[in-house]
Amino acid sequence: MTDDGVQGHPSAIGSGEPTAAPRRPPRTTRRSVLFVDAVANWTITIGGLGVILAVFGIMIFLTAVVWPLFSGGHAVTQSQAKLEGAASDVLTELVDEYHTIVVSVERNGEVAINHLATGRLIKSRKFEIGKRKIASFARTLNGENVAIGFDDGTLRLGRIKIETTILKTSAVPAGLNELGRDDRTDGDAVYSVIDDDQVRRIAVSVDLDEPQQIAPEGVALVALDYRLGGAVERPTRSFVSIDANGAVRLSRLETKRSLLGGTRAQTTLNSIDLPSLPKGTEVASILMTSLADQLYVVEDAGNVFRYDTRDPQKPILAERTQLTPDGVGVTALGFLAGEQSIVVGGADGSVNVFFRLQRPGADTADGFALVKTHELERQPDAIVALAASPRSKSFITADANGNVWVRHATTDQTLLKLAAPGGAVTAVAIAPREDGVVAIGKNEAVWNWRIEMPHPETTFSSIFGKVWYEGYPEPGYTWQSSSATDTFEPKLSLVPLVFGTIKAAFYSLLFAIPIALCAAIYTSEFVGPGVRNIIKPTMEMMASLPSVVLGFIAALVLAPIVESWIAAIVLAVVVLPLSVFLGAYLWQFVPQNIALRVGGGSKMLFIGAVLVVGVILALNLAPWFESALFGGDFKAWANGDVGSSRPFMALLTWPVSFAILLFADARGFLPFMPGGGSSRQRDNALVDLGRWLAFLAGSLGLAWLLATALLTLGIDARGAVVNTYVQRNTFVVGFAMGFAVIPIMYTIAEDALTAVPEHLRAASLACGATPWQTAISIIVPTALSGIFAAVMVGLGRAVGETMIVVMAAGNTPVIDWNIFSGLRALSANIAVELPEAVKDGSLYRMLFLAALALFVMTFVINTLAEMVRLKFRKRAAQL
Amino acid sequence: MDNVTTDQAAIRPIDAPSAVVRRSPATALSARGEPFMWALGAALTIGIVMVIGFLLFVFWNGLVTFIPKPVAVVTLRSGAMVAGEPTRPELYRLSPDAIKALPPAEAAKVAVNGGYGHRTLYRIGNYDLYNEDFRWVSDHDVDKIDYPEEMVFIERLEWGVFVGRIRSVKIGDRDLANPTPKDPALVAAHKEARARWQTIRRIERDLIGRVNHDLEVLRLDVRRAEIKHGPASTQAEKARLAEAAQIPSLKSEYDRLTGEAVRLNSIAQLNTVTLADVTGKEKVLPLSSLVRFYPANNLSFFDKVSIYLSRWGEFLSAEPREANTEGGVLPAIFGTVAMTLLMVLVVAPMGVITALYLREYAKQGRLVSIVRISVNNLAGVPSIVYGVFGLGFFAYGIGAHIDDLFFPERLPAPTFGTGGILWSALTLALLTVPVVIVATEEALSAVPRSMREGSLACGASKWQTIKNIVLPRAMPGIMTGIILAMARGAGEVAPLMLVGVVKLAPTLPFDGYFPFVHLERSFMHLGFHIYDVGFQSRNSEAGKPMVFVTTCLLIAVITFLNLAAIVIRSRLKRQFAGNQF
Repeated sequence: MTDDGVQGHPSAIGSGEPTAAPRRPPRTTRRSVLFVDAVANWTITIGGLGVILAVFGIMIFLTAVVWPLFSGGHAVTQSQAKLEGAASDVLTELVDEYHTIVVSVERNGEVAINHLATGRLIKSRKFEIGKRKIASFARTLNGENVAIGFDDGTLRLGRIKIETTILKTSAVPAGLNELGRDDRTDGDAVYSVIDDDQVRRIAVSVDLDEPQQIAPEGVALVALDYRLGGAVERPTRSFVSIDANGAVRLSRLETKRSLLGGTRAQTTLNSIDLPSLPKGTEVASILMTSLADQLYVVEDAGNVFRYDTRDPQKPILAERTQLTPDGVGVTALGFLAGEQSIVVGGADGSVNVFFRLQRPGADTADGFALVKTHELERQPDAIVALAASPRSKSFITADANGNVWVRHATTDQTLLKLAAPGGAVTAVAIAPREDGVVAIGKNEAVWNWRIEMPHPETTFSSIFGKVWYEGYPEPGYTWQSSSATDTFEPKLSLVPLVFGTIKAAFYSLLFAIPIALCAAIYTSEFVGPGVRNIIKPTMEMMASLPSVVLGFIAALVLAPIVESWIAAIVLAVVVLPLSVFLGAYLWQFVPQNIALRVGGGSKMLFIGAVLVVGVILALNLAPWFESALFGGDFKAWANGDVGSSRPFMALLTWPVSFAILLFADARGFLPFMPGGGSSRQRDNALVDLGRWLAFLAGSLGLAWLLATALLTLGIDARGAVVNTYVQRNTFVVGFAMGFAVIPIMYTIAEDALTAVPEHLRAASLACGATPWQTAISIIVPTALSGIFAAVMVGLGRAVGETMIVVMAAGNTPVIDWNIFSGLRALSANIAVELPEAVKDGSLYRMLFLAALALFVMTFVINTLAEMVRLKFRKRAAQL
Repeated sequence: MDNVTTDQAAIRPIDAPSAVVRRSPATALSARGEPFMWALGAALTIGIVMVIGFLLFVFWNGLVTFIPKPVAVVTLRSGAMVAGEPTRPELYRLSPDAIKALPPAEAAKVAVNGGYGHRTLYRIGNYDLYNEDFRWVSDHDVDKIDYPEEMVFIERLEWGVFVGRIRSVKIGDRDLANPTPKDPALVAAHKEARARWQTIRRIERDLIGRVNHDLEVLRLDVRRAEIKHGPASTQAEKARLAEAAQIPSLKSEYDRLTGEAVRLNSIAQLNTVTLADVTGKEKVLPLSSLVRFYPANNLSFFDKVSIYLSRWGEFLSAEPREANTEGGVLPAIFGTVAMTLLMVLVVAPMGVITALYLREYAKQGRLVSIVRISVNNLAGVPSIVYGVFGLGFFAYGIGAHIDDLFFPERLPAPTFGTGGILWSALTLALLTVPVVIVATEEALSAVPRSMREGSLACGASKWQTIKNIVLPRAMPGIMTGIILAMARGAGEVAPLMLVGVVKLAPTLPFDGYFPFVHLERSFMHLGFHIYDVGFQSRNSEAGKPMVFVTTCLLIAVITFLNLAAIVIRSRLKRQFAGNQF
C-alpha cells in the first residue's frame, strides 16, 4: 500500500535533465488516502477515548449502584383527604399492601373501610359484640389478628382479613361507582385497574370467635396483648390480660384439629395467674414477646414491670425499671418486628428502643435486664402514636404537633420527616411493604404518603461503625447477611470483611516479602546471566498459575498436611534459618581459592542441600519439639488447654533479642566478644562461628527473659496471634497466596535492581568493596523505591486475590489476629454471596460496595507504587 | 542486623588498603557477608523449589491418575474384608482411647512412633452398597493383604466405580457364569450394549431435543405475535394457526422417537451383568451401564497402556457424569476455548486502538501520563471487581434492556439478562485490556522515531506510517500482549462465577440450531470445574483425581500460551534485530 501513498514525488528535483516540458505530477494527495487517514484518525481517537472512558466507567458505575445505600428515604407523593364517617375513638388502623383502603377499628366495634385517596367510606363492617363494651384491645404486628377485652371479663379473638384478588377486566361487575382515577367500588370492595386486562379487587372481612371468660364475671379487662404461634394446623394463641382488680393472667388457647375430621376443632384454654403487681400500679398497657416468655407491664409514668415466664409453671416478676426519666410519661409504646425490642415514645418527644439482655449481676431476679440500646432523634412534641413495620426494624412515630417521622431502630436514623399540616395526629399506620404511611388526624383528615426507603438498614455508620443489633450484648461489627428465619435482620458491617482482607494480606506478605525480595537481590547481584535467564522465567511462571489451582491445592492438599504436621512446620520456621546460617559459617572454612570458584548459581546447590537437611531435621525432631514446647499436642496447646506459652514467646522474641545483641556488640557494649583479625582464614572462620554460636546462646537466654517479662506484663501471643486451630486457616492461605504474590514482587524488585546503572556497581567493586557490600550499600539503597513499589504491587494482588481465600480460608467473618483461624475476605464474600443476592436489594448493593472498596484500595495502592516506580526510573536514569 | 554489617563493611575496605597491599582474607570475612548471602540464596532456592515442586506435584498427580492400579483385598483382624485401590498412605495421630484398644504389640509400635500410626486410604467404590467411596484402613487392623486375579475394577454410569467380581452375565437368553473380564463374548456383548446406549442417547438428546426445540420455537412465535400485535390480532391468529398446523406432525415424530427409545431400552434391559462385591453382596446392572471394566490384578503392560490412553480419550472427548467427578471435560474445554477466543476478538482491537491513541495520537502531556498510570493500575484491580461490574452492567443492565427489546416473549425467563458467554468474554476483555494496552504501548514506543520520521518525510500519511511501518515493527510486542491476556483470561475464575459460568451446561454456546451461535448461553469452564468438583461435589476425595487431571490440563493450556508468547516474542525480535536505522 505504500506505493499508493504519495503521488507527489517531485521528480524534477536535482535532475538537471533538460526535458522540454516536464510533466508535472499532481501536487495533491489522493483523496482515498486522505479519507482513510481521517477515518483512522477518528476511529482511533474515539475508540481510544471510549476504552479509557469505559474503564473509568467501572468506578462510576459501581458508585452509582452503591449510592442508594446511603440515601435514607423520600416521599414520592402526598395526598390528603377528608375521612368520611371518621370516629373520634379509633383503636387501630390498617392499610392494605397497595394503599387502596384504610381500615379503622373503632371502640364501638365498628370497622370502617375508607378509600384512602378520596377518604370515601366504602363500607362499615362490625364486630358483633352485642351489648358488651370494649375495654381493651390488642393486635398482632401485621394487624390481621385482634383480641378484644370486654367490661364483663370476657375476651374474644377476631380477624380482619384484607383479601386481594386479581380479576380479568371482563369479570368485574357492572354498575360501579367511580372512586378517583383508577378505582371503583360496588359498595363492598374496591376495584383498581392494573392494566388493560387486569383488575385488582380488595375487600375486607371481619369475624369474631366465641367469648372466653378470662377475668371473674363483671371485672373488666383493662389491658391486653396477643400473639399467635404454633403451626398452621395447630395454632397456639397466647394472650396476657390485666383486669380491673389488677390481676395479671397469661392464657393460652390451643386448638387441636383432628387430622381426619378437618372442620371439627377442639379448643382448650389454659390460664395461669402471674405474681401480682405492687398496690397502686396504674396499668397503661401490657406487651408480650412472640414466644410469650416475657411480659412487660407499663405505667403511664414510665415504670415497667417485667415478668419472666420462660417457665410457665413458675412465672416471676423479674424486674422493675423506668423507661423514661422521672416526670416524663410514656405516651406511645410498641414492639418492633420480632417482638423483642420495645419502642418507647415519651411526653418529651423522646424515642428510645429497649431490649432485654443478659446482664450478670443486674439487680433482677433472672439475670437479665431491660437495656436502653438506641436513643433516636427527639421529636419536637410529645409522641402520640407509633406503628412498626412487620418486616424490618423500621417504624413511624407521630407527635402531637403533626410531625410523622419514619425511623429505623438499629441504625438510629431518621429516614424521613413528614408533616401533617394542620395538626394533631391520632393514629398512624405503615403499609405492609414499607412503601406508604397513613396518618389520621383529629379533624377527620387522613394523610397518605407514598414513600421510598429502599435500604433503611444501612447508613455509613452502620456499615463502618459498631451497631447494636437486637439480642447482642453490646454494639459490634457483624456480617451476617442471611438466615433461615423470617424475622432475621441482616447485619451488614463491612468491617469484618475488610479486616479479613487485611489479615490475609498481612500474613501472606509476612511470608512473601522476605522470600521475594531476598530472592530478587540474590538473582540480580550474585547470579550469573546464564543462570538468571533460567531462574527468572521459572519464577515468573509461578505468576501464571491460575489462582483456582492454588486454592484447590491449598485447601484440599495443603490444609490437611499442615494440620497433621503443624509442629514440624513451626519447627522448620526455626530450623531452616538456623541451618542456613550454620551452613554459611561452615562454608567460611572452605579455602578461598575453592570458594571463589563456586558462583552464585552453584552455591544454591549447597544451600539447597542444607535446606533439605533442615527439613529432615525438622521432621524428625518434631515430636520431641512438640512435647518439649507445646505440651505434646500443638493444637491443644494453641487452644490454651495444655502447656505454657513461655517457650513459644521466647521463640518469637529470639530474633529481636538477637538483633539487640548485635546492636550492643556494634556499639561496643560487649567488649568480651572476640573480634576477627587473624591472618589465617581458618582461624577467622572459627572465631566467626564461635561468635555466632555465642550470640545465639546469649540471645536465647535474653529471649527467655524477655518472654518472662512480657508474660508478667500480660502480653501473650497465645490467645492473640496463636489460638484455636481450624483446618482451613490463615497460615495455609498465607502460604498459598505466597505463590500468587511472590512472583510479582520478585519480578518488579529484580527489574528495579537490574535497572541500577552498571557503572555504580563497577565503581563500587573497583573501590574494593565486595559484591555483598556493593549489593547492600550501593544497589539496594538505589533501588529502594523500586523495591517499595514491588511490595505495594504485591500487597495489591494479595488484597484482591479471590479464589485462594474462597477455597482455603474457611470464610468465617470473625475479627481476630489468630493465624490458625479462618477469615472472610471482601473478595471471597463477593464471590460467595453475589450469585444469590437479589438484584438491587441491600445485600446486592453492599456487595457492590465491597467491590468498590476493593477497587479503591487496590487502585490507591497501585497508583502509589506506580508513582514511586516512575520516580525511581527517573532517578536511575539520571545516575 | 544489616546496619551493623554495612557500617563495618563501609569502613573496613577503605582503612584496609593502607595497611595491607594484597587483599587480606582477614578483613574480607565479614565484608563478604557469607551468612547473609546464604540467606538470600536460601530464599531464592525456596522460591524455585516452590514453583518446581508445585508443578511436579500437580503434573505427577494428573498423569498418574489414569493409570490402572491393582485392587487389594484386605482381610482385617476382625475378619471383615475390604477391597479397593490403595490410594495413599498417611501417618496419623491415634487418640488415647484408640491406643488403649490396641493389642499390646501394636500399641508398643505406636508408642515408638510417638503416638503416630500408619493407615492407608482405599478406594472401595460400591457407593450404592456402602454409602462411602473411600475407607481408611489402619495398618494395625490388617491381618493380610491379597491381590486376587479375579478382582474386577468397573467404571459405571452411575454410583461411581464397582470393585468386586463378575458373577454372571446374561446376554439375551444366553447365560455366562463366572466369565473373565476378557471373555470375548462378554467384550462383544458389552461393545454392542454401549453402541445401543449411544443410539438411545442420541435419540433422547439430539432427535427428541430437536422436536422440543421446534415446539418451543412455535410457542415463542405465537407469544411474540401476541405481545407485538395484541392477542386478538391477525398476526397472532396466523401464528396460532401455524402452530396448530405443525404440532400434529411434531407430536407424531415425538411419539415415534420415544417408541424407538423405549424399544431399544427394553432390549438393553435383557443384557445384564451380575456383580458381587468382596463379601458376596450381589448387584444386577444392565450391561450398557458399564463404561469400562478390567481385571485390575491381571493386566499386561499393554493392557495398562491401553486403559490409560482410553481414559485420557474419554476425559478429553466425553461429557462429565456423576456430578462432574467422572467422565470427560469436553464441554469445559470447549467453553474455555470459546470464551477465550471471544475475549480475544474483543480485547485485541480495544487494546491496540487504545494504545495507538495514547502513543500516536494523543498529545503527550500530564493528562495522558495520568491516564497511562491509571490504565497500568487497572491491571492490578482485583478480577472479582470486574466480575461485579460485568454482572451489574452487562447482564443486569444491558442484558435486561436487550431482553425487553428483542426477547419479550421469553420473559420472565431472562435471555441476555443473566450471565452468559458473551458477558463473560466482555468482562474478561475489560479485565485484560490493560495487559494489551501496556504491551502494545511498550512495543510502539520501541519503534525508533527515525523510522516514523523517515516514512513521514517520504510523504506517507499518518495512518500509512502506522499501518506500514509502526504496526509491523510492534507486532511482536502486540502479539505477546494478546497472548498474555489470553493466558490471564483462561485462568480467571472468580469473575466468571458471577457472569455466566455454570456447573453443568446442558447446551453448548454453538450448536446446530438457528442462529447457531448462542452468545447468551452459560457455559462450563475448566477453572470453575476445578472449583466445583473440588468443593461442591458430594465427596471431594472422589473428585480429587479428576481435579488433578483438570488442573494439569488447565496449567498445560496456560503454560502453552505463555510459552507461545515467549517464543513469538523472541522470534519476532530476532527478525527485527539489527534492522534499525
